[in-house]
Amino acid sequence: MWWRKRRTDEDYSREIDAHLALEADRLAADGQSPDAARDAARRRFGNTVAAQERFHEANHWMWLEQLAQDLRYAVRGLWRSPAFTATTVLTLAVGLGLVTVVFAIFNAYVLRPFAVRDPYQLHVIAWSAPDAYGGSFRWSEYQELRGRQDLFSDVIAESTRYVLSNNGPVAAAFVSGNYFEALGARVLLGRPLASFDASAPGGSPVAVLSDEGWARFFDRDPAVLGKSLELNGERFVIVGVMRPEFSGLDDTPRDLWIPVTMYGAVAKQDLFGPTQPREMVIVARLAAGVTAEHVQSALTPVMRRIAERADVRAEARLQATPNPLSLWLITTLSPVFAAFLLVLVAACANVSNVMLARANARHREIAMRLSLGASRGRLVRQLLTEGLLIAALSGLAALALATATLRFGTALFFATLPPSISGLVRVVPFDLDRRVFLFALLVASGATLLFALAPALRATRLSLTHALRGQPSATTRAATLRNGLVASQVAVSLVLLVSAVTLARNGVAVGATNLGFQTAGVVSVNQRGQAGSFIQQAAEALAADARVAAVAVTSRNPLFGEFPKLPVKATHASDVVATSLMFVSPEYFPMLHIPIVRGRAFRPDEARAETRVGIISAAGARALWPGADPLGKVVRIPIEAAAPRNGEVRRIDRLATDASSESADVLIVGVAKDVVSGLVFEGQDTSHLYLPTSPTGSRAAAILVTGHAPQDVGPHALQTILRKANPDPFIFEIVPLDEMRQAQMYPLRTASWIGSLLGAIALVLSVSGLYGVLTYTLSQRTREIGIRMALGATAATVVRMVMTQSARLAGVGAAIGLMVALAVMKVLSTLIPFQNVSVLDAGAFAASLALVALATALAAYAPARRATRVDPSETLRAEG
Amino acid sequence: MSTRTPEPDRVALLQGTLDLLILRTLIFGPQHGQGIARTIEQQAEDALLVDHGSLYPALQRLEARGWIGAEWGTSDNNRKARFYTLTKAGRKQLTAQTQQWRRLAAAIGRVLGPEEA
Repeated sequence: MWWRKRRTDEDYSREIDAHLALEADRLAADGQSPDAARDAARRRFGNTVAAQERFHEANHWMWLEQLAQDLRYAVRGLWRSPAFTATTVLTLAVGLGLVTVVFAIFNAYVLRPFAVRDPYQLHVIAWSAPDAYGGSFRWSEYQELRGRQDLFSDVIAESTRYVLSNNGPVAAAFVSGNYFEALGARVLLGRPLASFDASAPGGSPVAVLSDEGWARFFDRDPAVLGKSLELNGERFVIVGVMRPEFSGLDDTPRDLWIPVTMYGAVAKQDLFGPTQPREMVIVARLAAGVTAEHVQSALTPVMRRIAERADVRAEARLQATPNPLSLWLITTLSPVFAAFLLVLVAACANVSNVMLARANARHREIAMRLSLGASRGRLVRQLLTEGLLIAALSGLAALALATATLRFGTALFFATLPPSISGLVRVVPFDLDRRVFLFALLVASGATLLFALAPALRATRLSLTHALRGQPSATTRAATLRNGLVASQVAVSLVLLVSAVTLARNGVAVGATNLGFQTAGVVSVNQRGQAGSFIQQAAEALAADARVAAVAVTSRNPLFGEFPKLPVKATHASDVVATSLMFVSPEYFPMLHIPIVRGRAFRPDEARAETRVGIISAAGARALWPGADPLGKVVRIPIEAAAPRNGEVRRIDRLATDASSESADVLIVGVAKDVVSGLVFEGQDTSHLYLPTSPTGSRAAAILVTGHAPQDVGPHALQTILRKANPDPFIFEIVPLDEMRQAQMYPLRTASWIGSLLGAIALVLSVSGLYGVLTYTLSQRTREIGIRMALGATAATVVRMVMTQSARLAGVGAAIGLMVALAVMKVLSTLIPFQNVSVLDAGAFAASLALVALATALAAYAPARRATRVDPSETLRAEG
Repeated sequence: MSTRTPEPDRVALLQGTLDLLILRTLIFGPQHGQGIARTIEQQAEDALLVDHGSLYPALQRLEARGWIGAEWGTSDNNRKARFYTLTKAGRKQLTAQTQQWRRLAAAIGRVLGPEEA
């Protein structure tokens, strides 16, 4: 049996020797002379070498020897046809490379655990209520959690914020002294931060760089230790550089880590004083034997006290990778994965076709081997080995391609982001680690089966007599396979093209959307974090500056995401209308050029008092009072007494329908033109209600500002002005509204670019596939075409014949592709509910079909023309 | 395979019967390859010809199936030889194959009819 120790060849031959000796002994005992007896024994045995060979072949090392033999043969074969090798390896490398890129990104963001000791013990501590979530804590609360040694073996705290260095933003993490020791993350140079660095406030201005920060600020200078870096005007000495694999405990890599005790000096705010801001994110290692469920139930009373709410539950969420893997995540990403896999499938089909043609061209050689006694299995294995070699080569090429693509793609990403945003964006490093290698290996082997198995099986199934005479047999079935492959390529490229064109057309449509207000020259100023409000000071400082033309305050600036919709009711009506709500100061409408079409704008006294008067959008007026004059009407809105400012992040997707929220009656004094306040691809607001506020009002949370000239409100100018309101310049986020609009467009634009790229690659693959197949089949049919031409067919007839055939082939593929694309788009259209986006786009289907038809016609024309250049008499003589 | 023509009064073994005869021979105790061949020939009163060249692949096959075990030992005349023994599975196999063979032989005998004079 297989697990029993195998016999060696030597042991076997010793047995045969023993047999010969015993037999000779017996014959000698019968009276023969020793020599005669030995000869007789040997004769009686027959061919001892053959017996040993038979044993040897049954031995398990045989396959390895054959594999080595096959590999040598495959290497020689590929070496001899460099064009074939280059085409197949490159084609496959493109397909594999694209899939590897996607996996590498997925790996970096979802699969790769943090490079720390026992990452699967790390849990983020937070609280959640049905409509709120809190993940930031006071220093004293952190101290309390740190004391819970019954639950945790280590508790660390960090607060990450942007600080300013050389006029550029730096992602700095203020960490508790035990941070690096508890995590066990390793340094490349110097030392990590230690508890003595965080022993007293302001005492230790030292920093540890991440790989990103090292590259950004010191160009990876190996002598960086001891050098210093200025952060918000404070000088920090670099004491260490972390290894590239550790960049922080989420998907935003830090530039550097500094002791939490330096928070006051840099952020100009006291973390440890009597009124502590909620700034600390807490991550804990669970003690031995403690489960997350246990922590949640044990901490719930503590969290209720911290959040000052009774409906709060504690959370201890496993955080071993930047983003947890979930079914939802996989479902969301599956269209992306599918698109990339389709390109790989198209590449495999292409290579498969080339392999098939090559195997057919070698049918004489294969027939020869079969007739000389090679088994079919052996030949299939040999052809598969060739496929494996191609897959291995293209796998290597794909890894190189993936590395280059990721590097180029990252650079492109930063270059195309709006400038005020690109400085703040950090991406995790997309290392090709062992998971990516393993993935590439698996996909490459899977691809081998896909592209090499069918041709190998097909090529070895032939009739010896025909093949040796030089006539390929089984041509009809091979042709079916070939045609099927081409048709599937056409189908794949059509599906991808339809998606790409749909994305691109939507991109153009959304880009051309009329927002209904003017964004040019308007700059948004938002406050980061929840540490008190500096909006009033900022608005006053801006208004006092001569460069500033106008200042408006809002509860939330337009284009910064979707506005939550509240159930609003006209008095004496039973139906509620989902209406978005926005507090604005009177300057808002003239600044953005939003016309008040009826009634009047807010008066300054209403703004100061936040009086219950409202301006409703035109669409809202129609929905609330169909056919009636909205002026003087009253709406009832559910509204909380004051905006909560205790570290909660409000969930914006929920209607505040619960009884606890107050309701207020609002008198409508004006109607404003419809505009797009939320997401550009959502389109104009269905119903939008403006309420008055002012810089001193309780609702003011964001600022819009315009200058006399564009440079007056440039980032630097604004930063200098805002420093008068708060010494930490990075507490305010400055984004021109134009760039915010671009940022909203960005995902759609990127998706349409990537979609177009995939579609183009698939189209090129199917064109080259069709071209190759036609060239090959026509070369096999020279004789037939020669006869046709000898019988009077003109060149035009032959071209028409070939074109008709390829059109039929492309037609079948296109029909399949059309059905698949239609099904996919139908499903997607139910999933994507955006008003301004049309998923089922007839224009995209028409354009893609036209493109595929044109491309396949072009691919067919050249081989068809070539076929007509056949000299009838010559071909007839050559094969006759 | 041996290419020699067998001696006229001997019958070459039918395909597949060698395995059965080997198992049968080993029922009397451990035996080496040459001994097995010798025993078969003697018990058939030299009417059967065992091809020594195909004996060892057959032994190898039976060993791989776990029907016989093997161990190096010393022969009666002090030569090193590989001794084969019947395993439990082999014994079961022998019973099954013997019955099968008997039925087959009887059936063929009936078809061929009474022996001619």
